[in-house]
Amino acid sequence: MGSADAGANGRIAAVGDAAVLLTLAERVDPELSRRAQAIAAAIDAARAEQPGLGRAVPAHASVLIPFDPLAIEIEVVTTLVGACAGRTGLGGVELEAPAPVEIPVRYGGVDGPDLADVAAIHGLRPSEIVELHAGAVYRVLFLGFAPGFAYLGGLPPGLVTPRRATPRARVPAGSVGIAGEQTGVYPLAMPGGWQLIGRTDAPLWDTARPSPALLGPGDRVRFVPVR
Amino acid sequence: MTLEVLEGGLVTTIQDGGRPDWAHLGVPPSGACDPWSLAIANLLLGNDPGAAVLEMTLVGPTLIARTSTTLGLAGADLGGRIVGGRRLAPGRSHRIEAGETITFPGDGPDRRARAYLAVPGGLDVPVVLGSRSTCLAAGFGGFDGRPLETGDLVNGRDDAAEEGAPGSPGARVSGERVWPADPDAPVGVPHLRLIPGPATGGDALVASPWRVGREADRVGLRLDGGPLPDGIAGEAVSHGVTWGAIQVPPDGRPIVLCADHQTTGGYPVVAVVISADLPILGQLRPGVDVRFVAVTREAAIGALVEQRAALVAAVAALRESVGWDELAHSAGG
Repeated sequence: MGSADAGANGRIAAVGDAAVLLTLAERVDPELSRRAQAIAAAIDAARAEQPGLGRAVPAHASVLIPFDPLAIEIEVVTTLVGACAGRTGLGGVELEAPAPVEIPVRYGGVDGPDLADVAAIHGLRPSEIVELHAGAVYRVLFLGFAPGFAYLGGLPPGLVTPRRATPRARVPAGSVGIAGEQTGVYPLAMPGGWQLIGRTDAPLWDTARPSPALLGPGDRVRFVPVR
Repeated sequence: MTLEVLEGGLVTTIQDGGRPDWAHLGVPPSGACDPWSLAIANLLLGNDPGAAVLEMTLVGPTLIARTSTTLGLAGADLGGRIVGGRRLAPGRSHRIEAGETITFPGDGPDRRARAYLAVPGGLDVPVVLGSRSTCLAAGFGGFDGRPLETGDLVNGRDDAAEEGAPGSPGARVSGERVWPADPDAPVGVPHLRLIPGPATGGDALVASPWRVGREADRVGLRLDGGPLPDGIAGEAVSHGVTWGAIQVPPDGRPIVLCADHQTTGGYPVVAVVISADLPILGQLRPGVDVRFVAVTREAAIGALVEQRAALVAAVAALRESVGWDELAHSAGG
């Protein structure tokens, strides 16, 4: 795969016999993820008219479109995806921007066992790390990795921190972490190598809710320090 | 219908046709790793082909029947038997009397990984996000989101038929029957057909033999073999991935994604196993040799059409041979 962009409306490739992948570019770019979300929404809107079309999966700069190959021809899917991509051009995407979702976080201590390490790496006091992290507004780029796990864009450059050398076997649900240019919240207890700076009681994932994920693609997010 | 779990087995979970429409929230599709055998186990009982069943892996559970019932069995032969009694062969249904204990010790010669046990009407667990399947990664669905353990009670949804209510809407077939075709036709041989792409390198996969590594579970399988030519392995910008996708991470050991795969991945996808061969993928166990064959999209669709037609024909033959409708009316009598 080249690193060049794939034209204004991206490149569509078959992925096996039951999906196509629309690739807008081979790079991480918040603008492209917003465009991928808009295209995915347009494709999902066409599902009622197109039996066999699966739910679109947006990511950093791409949209995966699964389909039932016995119910719909790949040419029909490709044409539809191309049309949706054409309608949502760069710059033409202005999603509604509702108020940020506020996530209360207990920073440091047992809830954020790596806060002191992160502060040391950046030559700052722990309180300054908290100020930086809670001072930014983040945007959900896409969901993946685990149910309800939102990749958040917008980490202040001063907080970019490598992963832990040794991942933890079990990170508690609600842990707030930093890994490279990403920050995020573990929706469930699982193994993980992110630097943990705090923890929230906000239920990121709850299958009893109609939409089980607290954060959806495109949502804006703010972390609020609490004791 | 109630089964009590005496031993849970290695990884025994409740699975059905899965929940494919939640990937945008990071939810794996889940469902039976071998959808073909899922369908056979169910159709032997007159269930919907995607009804919830027990999926057992390598070593199955030991269960005691609290009520008399008929069970549909398909997939790998894990040495199933009634304790102190007869063998329970896959590809047929079996009448089990109340108080009998059934066990699947995994001591058979079968080199496949998974067996499916269906109960009349399907298993009775709550529907979560449109499916009764267990999502092990997130701990929801199925039986409390986890594999079965000693002491669990597993219930069927079709108590009315079992208690003898002839003609009730939920009435099922209670007689024993044998799948009227080769139940293993599409899942017997570890040859996986694939469509190369979207990343380059699929042809190199086809060129050499592979062996399933120790890391093989519902999430995916690692393959040993190769080595692959330079320039294939690597990292990519994370994008959505599918069941059957073959990723090549920087260490060069391919990963084939299975039913519980993560929804996005950051490794190049060099090929994808065709839909008709996903059941074979779900039957691979560690140490088994695998070969890949590249096919066209047309051949892949043709194989899928053929597989569906075989299922439909077998169901028709099953009904013909035993007077299905008649039996359905007198189920439980």
